[in-house]
Amino acid sequence: MRVFLIGAGQVGTTIVEALHDDHEITVLDTEGTRLQALTGRFDVAVFEGNGTSRKDLAAAGIGRANLVIACTSRDEVNIVAGMFSRREAEGATTVIRTSSAEYVELWREGQLDVDFVVSSELETAYAISRILGVPAARQTDVFADGQVQVGEFDIDEDASDDLVGMPLRNAKFPTDSKVAAIIRGDEMILPRGDVEIRRGDRIVVIGSPSAARQWSELLWPEGGTVRDVVIYGAGRVGSAIARVLREQGLSIRMIEASRDQARRVAESHPDVRVFNASGFDADFLERERIGYAQAAIFAMRDDAKNQYAASLARVHGVPFTVAIAHEAVSVAAFEQSGIDVSVNPRAVTAEEIVRFAHDPRMQQVAMLEGNRFEVLDVTTRETSRYIGMAFRDMPVHGSLIGAIVRNGQAIFPHGGDVLQAGDRVIIFTEAANAPWVVEAL
Amino acid sequence: MTQAVSRIGRPRRIAIDVLASLNLVGTLGKYLGIAALMPLAVALWYGESVVPFVVAGGLTSGLGLLLERATARPGGRVGVREGFLVVSLTWLLAAAFAATPYIVVGSDQLGHPIDAYFEGMSGFTTTGATVVTDFDDLSKSIAIWRQFTQWLGGMGIIVLALAVLPRLRVGGRQLLESELPGPEIDQLSERMRSTARRLWVLYVALTGLEALILSILGWTGVDDKMTPYEAIAHAFTTMPTGGFSTQARSIEAFSAASQWVIVAFMVIAGVNFALMYRAVLRRRPGVLVRDEELRLYLALLGVATVALCVQIWSYGIAEGEEALRFAAFQVASITTTTGYANVDWAVWPVLLLLTLFALMFVGGSAGSTGGGIKIVRHLLLGKVLRREIDQTLSPEVVLPIRLNRSPVDEKTLRAVASFILLYIGLWALGAMVIAIETAFIDLTLPMMDPLLISASAIGNVGPSFGVTGPMGSYAPIGDASKIAMIGLMWAGRLEIVPVVVLLTRHYWRL
Repeated sequence: MRVFLIGAGQVGTTIVEALHDDHEITVLDTEGTRLQALTGRFDVAVFEGNGTSRKDLAAAGIGRANLVIACTSRDEVNIVAGMFSRREAEGATTVIRTSSAEYVELWREGQLDVDFVVSSELETAYAISRILGVPAARQTDVFADGQVQVGEFDIDEDASDDLVGMPLRNAKFPTDSKVAAIIRGDEMILPRGDVEIRRGDRIVVIGSPSAARQWSELLWPEGGTVRDVVIYGAGRVGSAIARVLREQGLSIRMIEASRDQARRVAESHPDVRVFNASGFDADFLERERIGYAQAAIFAMRDDAKNQYAASLARVHGVPFTVAIAHEAVSVAAFEQSGIDVSVNPRAVTAEEIVRFAHDPRMQQVAMLEGNRFEVLDVTTRETSRYIGMAFRDMPVHGSLIGAIVRNGQAIFPHGGDVLQAGDRVIIFTEAANAPWVVEAL
Repeated sequence: MTQAVSRIGRPRRIAIDVLASLNLVGTLGKYLGIAALMPLAVALWYGESVVPFVVAGGLTSGLGLLLERATARPGGRVGVREGFLVVSLTWLLAAAFAATPYIVVGSDQLGHPIDAYFEGMSGFTTTGATVVTDFDDLSKSIAIWRQFTQWLGGMGIIVLALAVLPRLRVGGRQLLESELPGPEIDQLSERMRSTARRLWVLYVALTGLEALILSILGWTGVDDKMTPYEAIAHAFTTMPTGGFSTQARSIEAFSAASQWVIVAFMVIAGVNFALMYRAVLRRRPGVLVRDEELRLYLALLGVATVALCVQIWSYGIAEGEEALRFAAFQVASITTTTGYANVDWAVWPVLLLLTLFALMFVGGSAGSTGGGIKIVRHLLLGKVLRREIDQTLSPEVVLPIRLNRSPVDEKTLRAVASFILLYIGLWALGAMVIAIETAFIDLTLPMMDPLLISASAIGNVGPSFGVTGPMGSYAPIGDASKIAMIGLMWAGRLEIVPVVVLLTRHYWRL
């Protein structure tokens, strides 16, 4: 596929990194130095020019592209570039990045003429919402607009006895979910009825979001459900997180150092309690009982501040800390300092955009255990030999269908259900088998 | 060097354009005089003397024209600063206009200039306090003139001018805003002229409707006393929450059915007109249900009516429908600052009087014709106080105050708090003047009365208690007290700030 990329910043670089092996990429940016840095690392074509200039876009060869990605840090540039791409590259899929919730809204209403809009802030907020929903998970991902959740869990001493040490067919686990795989050391075990889960295993579960939460409670009974969250920083990322978590009924407190910003957020989020404070003031943390919160999210602009504030919050008793790492290197530093989970908004955004470069039948892909396993979201074609076959009759090849999406609704199939043409299949597979799986469906 | 000196010119001391302000006042006066045609027509109809109205209209229009000519000067500008002066002067002028026929007639009860000016100010400010003692002595045309001045003042003279006059050289919203009651919360997005027109259209329509319903009660024999003349006269003073009546016994003179109709229209007059416009003429009744001010207004009316009804019944003043009617009527009348009465409450026990006294401080809704502090200010102050309590526990918490879900500017909240303090300060000051003068003249007022009279005047309610009660008159009180009340009514109608601003040094001087 020929990919045309506008913007060679952090998001652009991450996208190039993910796609350069299999795709032909052209990158356009106004800054030559950035482009040089890119050509030094990857085999890509570059063009120094302006994304808002139709001439520059045409000269850089946007007309030949199958996929146009506008991912500069400026919304207006991305929108204009997306608009010109419609004219210059007919038939190409256009994806633009935005940081404005308004543009996402417009796109959903069909008012913005691009194929996909990806918002760093929203993607980050969704990632954090997934993490809080399933605190016991090492990693989670969602499919089909959040109807299907994939989680990877460690089975340790806390895990419930209803689950561990008995054949799977007798184990009591949440309905609307499936164990997709059991990973024991380097070995992957397919979850047949007679297999048992042992402590020390790592399992992959596919199920509904509520089933994923129940799994989290089964595996970490004291962890409970997160209800009360403190968010540090009420910038665009912090506000987006607050909005998404409020929609899920969580109780939110926010701490923001800038007086004006605090006021703005308090005005736009009526049911969030906003404090105008630095978050580094021990008296304040004590007086407001910040330590009583079940989780704290650090979404300030400065990674160093996030790290210190997180440490201070831990000292005050916050059990679960999630920090935004604006710089890629901060992820490792955060984990070293005891922060439970860190999220890099640019990486999240790039990951989301990369999905559009895959097979058009494939909507989404998630990587587990590095790149060993993949979860795919594939639409079945009419010629597939599995159409009309009941799930219990399907041969076992080391892959497992966790859910199907039929007419927009997620279904968690039982043995008697039958696969139909046009179903979207959420399937877990070893990465090596992925091309074969896509081919067969 | 010399060039620079000549460019700098002489220092200017006066910070406002007085000539331009007077020019606009002149223009307004010129047109205001036309209003005398209405009682003039009534006088012709009943075969009464037209002289008082010819003189009043001629003087006002003539002096207005003269003032306009004398101050005409190119480049004059009426901006925000000048607006305060224009509004304040226009209302003083309007009261004088209203007083002229009373002076020309020269009767014992209204002929004295201070009494006439009192009656005129009480008319235009829709207060309803009167010095008239003998209502039978008033001619039909003078009586309807009293009612008509209240109707003109209800929605505001300048608002009317904006709505109907071809063009006013006004620089901003200030003029409109200092006349429209209530804090400026809604950012009116439409042009001033269309806003003013809408308010007047609704006002005229509601007045017409009330006059019609009352007339029908008269024609069908439900209320013998309710002639078309009385129906129009009382519609003229219900919609502006005025309170003047052609009857010595106020609304007591009419039947229960008429009283209930008047209760309904008093309640409507206390509602925000812009809100009613959206709900009725734009057919969006949902805005009524969601409006916090309206909900509080109706809740207050309901609770106060029940409380008063229980008191009236248990004191044995009245029972059954009559008790409920007395309660509902007095609550609507005092809360909306109308000032009608259908029973002489001046003789009621103290607990009842204190209930009514408390209601004097409530007022109508913002954007209604009611006076007083206004519901929305109480609502906002309550919210500010609740926030203060919350912030003593958590000083860092940021709590924007919301009204109907949208955040209210902190500047508006400060203005609300200072308005209420000014209001109370001015009320106390007025009470003091009245109390001091009463000590010097041969009049014994009970201890509370100066407080009540002052509250009634600044709130544009009208009657108070004792001799100055709803069936009484302000004739016995002294001239200084009357002048104090004139000031209170004037300041109260213009919501204090435009008047108080004129007293500051930096308004006039650079």
